[in-house]
Amino acid sequence: MMYRGGVVLVLVVAAASLPAHAEDCRSVDPARSSVSFELEQAGSPFRGDFRRFGGEVCLSGTGATRIEVWLDPASVDAGLPEIDAALKGSDFFAVERYPRVAYSSRSIESTAPMQIARGMLKMKGESRPLDVPFSLRRADGHVVLSGTLILDRLKYGIGTGEWSNTKWLGGEVKVKFSATLSGPS
Amino acid sequence: MRWRNTDQSYGILAQGLHWLIAVLVFAQLGLGLYAAGLPLGIARLEWLTRHKSLGLAVLALVLLRLLWRLVSAPPALPESMSKRERFAAVTTHRLLYALLIAAPLAGWLYASAAGLSVNWFGLFQVPDLVAKNAHRAALYKSLHHGFVALLALLLVGHIGAALRHAFVLRDRIMHRMLPWTRPPA
Repeated sequence: MMYRGGVVLVLVVAAASLPAHAEDCRSVDPARSSVSFELEQAGSPFRGDFRRFGGEVCLSGTGATRIEVWLDPASVDAGLPEIDAALKGSDFFAVERYPRVAYSSRSIESTAPMQIARGMLKMKGESRPLDVPFSLRRADGHVVLSGTLILDRLKYGIGTGEWSNTKWLGGEVKVKFSATLSGPS
Repeated sequence: MRWRNTDQSYGILAQGLHWLIAVLVFAQLGLGLYAAGLPLGIARLEWLTRHKSLGLAVLALVLLRLLWRLVSAPPALPESMSKRERFAAVTTHRLLYALLIAAPLAGWLYASAAGLSVNWFGLFQVPDLVAKNAHRAALYKSLHHGFVALLALLLVGHIGAALRHAFVLRDRIMHRMLPWTRPPA
């Protein structure tokens, strides 16, 4: 009897704790978020932005528990029409074949004050594991995730042919993001 | 030969700067025209990067030359020249100086507004003059081209006049800028 009572107790406790574990998932508010990149051209920093992106972040009491985000590489905006056109072309993002860049986390570790998402980045048909460190804060009643990461563009085939020359076009791309989640904090 | 200008001839420093700037300006005309005609690619990035570094060198040398004119006055134009000739000479020289400053300056503004900053011959980062702005970049590009076209026109006049002094008038005006000639006895 004690044994059976124990099982019941475990089930009751598990059921009672369900709401606390339910995921609080929110969408990224594009109007209040940004994704920018920076790499070296001829030894000087060159910057640009992506204008269309979105996704969902799930939260628990302590932080983020799941991240699923995407961006449209055709929305690249480096400020120069000629360069934007090249970035959309087959040597860079090949946006007609690969219209979406996506990241999804497998797990998220907390290493206060930061968190690190471990997951996969899919870009230009190439899926690679990527750790994304970020911080989560609450501002103006909204949850904001932000961080910076460094990507090796050549691993994803971003800049093929003559553009793989990293002396004139740096191989490391610094990506900065800030995602404001919709809904109250 | 003297460093300083005399009332008969330019000194070594003024002559050296004149001819160095002359060589660089012609190199710049060639480089700029060549690079601007290349398709977007590493070669264009390479040559335009050199063009930008050289252009800033020209700007610095021209400013140095103007400064030296203040320290050591250039030889006066001889009485043998008519009023109209002197006016033409003085005006052309002033416009040449103005354009030798304006053309690289507009190029620098163009590079800044385009977000394509300059790392001077890979030695140091040159500050941007203005923030990145596509519309302004187009404006500065036109200005740069306009100033260069005017400069090229004036150079035709300048060189034509110098050759006239040397071979038609034979008044030794051009010889004042030649390092290997001696002042008349």
